[in-house]
This record gives sequence, C-alpha cells and structure tokens, in this order.
Amino acid sequence: METIVSENRAINFRAIDKFEPDWLYKIRKTNWQAYNQLPLPDRAQHLWRYSKPEQFLSANIDALMNTLPVLPKHINGNGRPVSDEYAAIGYNPDDKTTLTKMSEELKQKKIIFKDLYLATRENEDLVSKYLGRLINHNSGKFEAFNMALWNGGYFLYLPDNAVIEKPILLNRHAGGLYAISRLLVIVGNNAQVTLIDDYSGPYRETSGNSNGVVEIFGGESSQIRYVNIQRQADNCISYITQRAEIGKGASIYSIFGAVGGATTKVNAGTILNGRGAESRMYGIVFGNESQHFDYHTMHHHKESESQSNINFKVVLKNKATSSYTGLIRIEKETANCEAYQENRNLLLNKGTRAESIPELEILTDQVRCTHGATMGPIDQNMLFYLKSRGVSHDEAVKIVISGFVEPTIAQMPGELQNLMRGLIMNKLEGAQL
Amino acid sequence: MSDNNIVFAMHDIHVEVEGKEVVKGLSLEIKRGEKHAIMGPNGSGKSSLVNALAGHPNYVITKGEAYINGKNLLEMDATARARSGLFLAFQYPMAIPGVTVANFLRSAVKAKHNGDDSALKDFRKELMDKFQLLEIDKTFATRYLNDGFSGGEKKRIEILQMAMLKPLVALLDETDSGLDIDALRIVSNGINASAPSDGGVLLVTHYQRILNYVKPDYVHVMMHGRLVRSGGSELAFQLEEKGYDWIENEVFQIAEV
Repeated sequence: METIVSENRAINFRAIDKFEPDWLYKIRKTNWQAYNQLPLPDRAQHLWRYSKPEQFLSANIDALMNTLPVLPKHINGNGRPVSDEYAAIGYNPDDKTTLTKMSEELKQKKIIFKDLYLATRENEDLVSKYLGRLINHNSGKFEAFNMALWNGGYFLYLPDNAVIEKPILLNRHAGGLYAISRLLVIVGNNAQVTLIDDYSGPYRETSGNSNGVVEIFGGESSQIRYVNIQRQADNCISYITQRAEIGKGASIYSIFGAVGGATTKVNAGTILNGRGAESRMYGIVFGNESQHFDYHTMHHHKESESQSNINFKVVLKNKATSSYTGLIRIEKETANCEAYQENRNLLLNKGTRAESIPELEILTDQVRCTHGATMGPIDQNMLFYLKSRGVSHDEAVKIVISGFVEPTIAQMPGELQNLMRGLIMNKLEGAQL
Repeated sequence: MSDNNIVFAMHDIHVEVEGKEVVKGLSLEIKRGEKHAIMGPNGSGKSSLVNALAGHPNYVITKGEAYINGKNLLEMDATARARSGLFLAFQYPMAIPGVTVANFLRSAVKAKHNGDDSALKDFRKELMDKFQLLEIDKTFATRYLNDGFSGGEKKRIEILQMAMLKPLVALLDETDSGLDIDALRIVSNGINASAPSDGGVLLVTHYQRILNYVKPDYVHVMMHGRLVRSGGSELAFQLEEKGYDWIENEVFQIAEV
C-alpha cells in the first residue's frame, strides 16, 4: 500500500488552506516532501524490528488533504465550567473540533492554553519558534507525515514562575480521519504543571489510525509531569512520538499507561539539556487478546549531574505481544550523570511474547548506570501462598498482577493513581484469567 | 469419619516431590482442642507433609486419606482447603511486592467468608488488636507483604494471619526458626491466643524450645518419611537431651531384630 503523491499534490494541499501563516506552510511543505521521499522504514532498521510500518500509513490521505479542522469560536465563558478536579480541560466535541477551557486563575497567571491550530495564528511568535523543533521530518517518515498534515492538538504555555496546582486534562480523539494531532508545551523557568494526555478513541467500524506528536520544553528548574494514557478502542492503531527537552535543575516525570488499541507504537524520550536535570519515566502496559505494544524510551544526557530513571512494566495475556527498547545515551563531555533502567515483563500464559532490549551509548567513564530486565510467568509459589489463605485462583492472579504494577502506580501523582488502578482493574475484570 | 471429636485425621499419607517419595505412609489424628508436635531432623519430610496437606501443586499426595472436620481434604484445591479451616504458617513465607499487609488480609478475610463484605465490618479494629497481640508496628499494615521483612518479622506476620483468619486446624511449619528468645515468646503467645478450642494445631519443628511455650499434648518423631515414635511432651525433652540419633539407633535396632 505504497502511497505516492506528487509535488503538485503538496501544493494543492496548501491551496485549500487560505488561513495558515506562511511559516507553517513552509514547514508543512518540507515535511510533506520528506514524507513522500522517505521510504517505508526497513524492518531491520532500529525501532522497526517489532512492528510492520505499513500499518501506520493512513488510508485516507485524500480526505485528510482536503479537510481543515474547524476553528473553534469563543469557548471560554460558554458551556460547561471546568470541573474542580482539573485546572483546565481540552476535548473534542466532534471529529473536527478541539475545544479548551481553563479556570480564571490560569488566565490571570497569563497561561495560554488553546487549540494548536488557533495558536499558530494568535500566538505566532511562540509557536513558530518551538513547533517541530524536537520532532520533524528528520525524526522519520511518520513524524514527517504528522508535521505535514496535523489537523488538531493543543498548545500550552506557562510563563516563568507560573504554577498550576491541579492537572490539565487533554482528551484526544483517536481513530477516524482527524487523528493527526500535536501537543506543544512550553514551560517557563520555575514553572510547574501536570498534564494528562488521554487517548480514548471510541470504537469505529473501520480500524482507526492515529498519529500523535508531543513536544515539551521545560525551562530551568521547571517541574513537569506528563501522563500519557492509551485506552483506545480495540481496533485503533496508534503511532506516538514524544520528546521533552528540559533545562538546568528541571525535572520531568513521564508516565505511559497503555491498555487499549490493536497496535500501539510509542517512541518517548527526554533530553536532559541542563546541569542537574532529572527525568523519571514509568510505564505500565497491560495487553490481552492479540494486542501489540512497541515502546521505545530514550534518555539523552547532554549535561553533567543529570539523572534519569526508567521503570517499565508489562503484563501480557492470551496472544498479546510487547517489545521494549530503552536507550540511554550519555555524552562524552558530561560528568557524574546517573541513569537507571528497569523493565519487567509478566507473561500470564504461553503464547504471549515479550522482548526487552537495553541500548546503552555511554561515552564517558564518570557515570553511574544500571539496567535490568526480567521476564516470566507468575510465580506459582506466590499463587499458592494466596490460595492457602482461601483466595480463589482468579482472585490470586488479580492480586499478583495488581501488586506487580502497584509500586509503579504509587510513584504517580496522587490524583492519577486511582485512574490507573481503575484501568488495570477494568482490564483484569474483562480478561479471562 | 463419624467421630465428631476428631477435627483432623490422616491415614497412610504418601507424598511425592518431583517423582521422589518423601512421605511414606503417615497416619495421625487430632482431637478438638489438641496440640500435636512433629519433630524430626532435616530432610525427614516434615515440611513436605504440611505443604502437601495445604495443597501445594509440587507436593503430590499419591496415596492415603485426609479429613478436616469430617470433610475429605484431598478432594479440595488449596483454596477450598483453606476455606474449610486449614491454615499453613509457612517456613519461608513468600514476598508479594505491591500488595500491602492490610489489603492482603482484607482479601483473605473476605475470601474466607465467600466474598461477603460484611465480614470486613470490624476489620480495621481487629487488625490493630492483632498487631498489638504480636507486637508488630502499625506501619506494617501499609508495607508490601513480606517484602524486605526480616525472618522474624515474616514469622510474626504468619501468626498475625492465623489470628485474623481463625483457622480450625493450623499447620505451623518451623514457625520458631529464626526467632530470638523474645520473638519466640511473642509468637508463641500469638499461637496460643489463636488456637481454636474446638480445633487443632500441628506444629512442626526441629527444636524443643518452642514447646516450652506452645505446650503439645502429643509429640511425634518423624524420620525418613514416617512417624517412628509418639508420646507425650516428655518425648521432646528426651530428644533434646539425647538427640535424634538415639531414636534412629533404636528404630534401626528394632528393624535389625
């Protein structure tokens, strides 16, 4: 299903849009050309050994090229207020529209939160400076595709010292035609925010295909929590690339929780671009039936005394498969960096398959780095211990699985712990154990 | 099994582990309110016996019968055995990371009452009472079960579970090993306080010292997969004095004759 589209098509693509600023058109055009010129990734290529690239091609290019997102009108002040749980929410009332709402408090703090498409016009200076800086056509064919054709997403900007106590919830439509989205987050020095990026696409007749890009920029001493939840319908295929770049003394906690979808391919990474920067990543994947998860994480230490830690847990049932590859790169000029990586896989029955591949590129001696992986079924002695207390077999399995992921959940922000536990429990209730 | 006074009985029990017979025909009856001790050297088959009775899949009962409260134990899986009132205090309790002591016990108490939530009405208070009984710090309620616990702490938590689950028949597998003298006293108090008046206790041990606190009505000596001698609590003192060789020699000599 090779897609060949000529240069003319790219120009046509532009011709339908009379509103976009020139700089954006240029980026889109470059990326569109790159997308068409880049071959499909070779299966022997890094990151492509475990998922077929064809499945991430969109079957709806024509429709995508001839449709623009609906520009939101005046949203704040209309409709539902933001619930007490969140400082702001973004959601899709339908396939084509992205709406955002935020509290008065956030407006007073000069925080900007809006549809990304709207922001390219209303906040042109900021958006044009950052959009595509971390993820673009140099990242790969599907990243080029996203940059060329993105048609939805969110823009969040926190000025220096702005602190948002409650999380911001982003509902992401996935599947369907209009699921090429970007999230651009700029967090000023000393600013703090928690983002919940919730992919929860509904079931569709034809398999949904979504392509998401997340770019996060964290200023000096900023504190960011980014939570990516993937609970899409059974037939969704998603491709998500996420990069955060954080400065001196900044910290980011990134959490990836995935229970949904048919195929989920995620490439997530943090660039530690300042002395003493800290990144922690947590992953919880729970797959059953024939679900496939392909996660790559990257920690790139560019400056001294930066720290990273990854704890990635996978539970697989039925014929579900998972691959985890984790890259740690530590530059030569750095000193006293610390990097840890742990990947644990619980395989509930024969027929599941998991891969775990650490990738270490450590160019200096002045470093502390450890990595470890485990893979195996539930310990029969553990089950027996629980059963000897009167707990049924199924309940014992549930308790052991909950326990397996619980230490990771306990590291999450308080308000998210119950959400994550709920997702795991729902999955456990639904799965035949 | 018409004798209602017998709470636990086994007849001619044989146990295999990985195809090797480790218990070779063992019979024992426990009447209500009785405490029995099985003593024996390492490798005599004591732990295999109690694990097999509790239903561990690696310990296969190849022959014999066992009854708890008149019910056929060997027709039940491990879960059903526990729900019938059987309890095994493990020699080496498993750690279950991510599951707190309190949540684990809540699941167990609920399971024992066939999923009835009303069984949990006074759970919190009862748990705290039992923590006090076993002199366990309250913070253990929210720690992950046996995860990073010392040997002595694990043994206290085992008896805490016995106290919470109130079994009819408790099999205690070397609960005294790894305990210092103070902990031994505390754990023994816990066992005595939790031993049901209408049930039974079967205590497996190497050493006589726990029997100073948990006083057995009967002491049995196990060697090479069989009970070779039974008696009152005085037998434990004789063993302590003369060692297992004494019995080994006597049994051996009888066999020679």
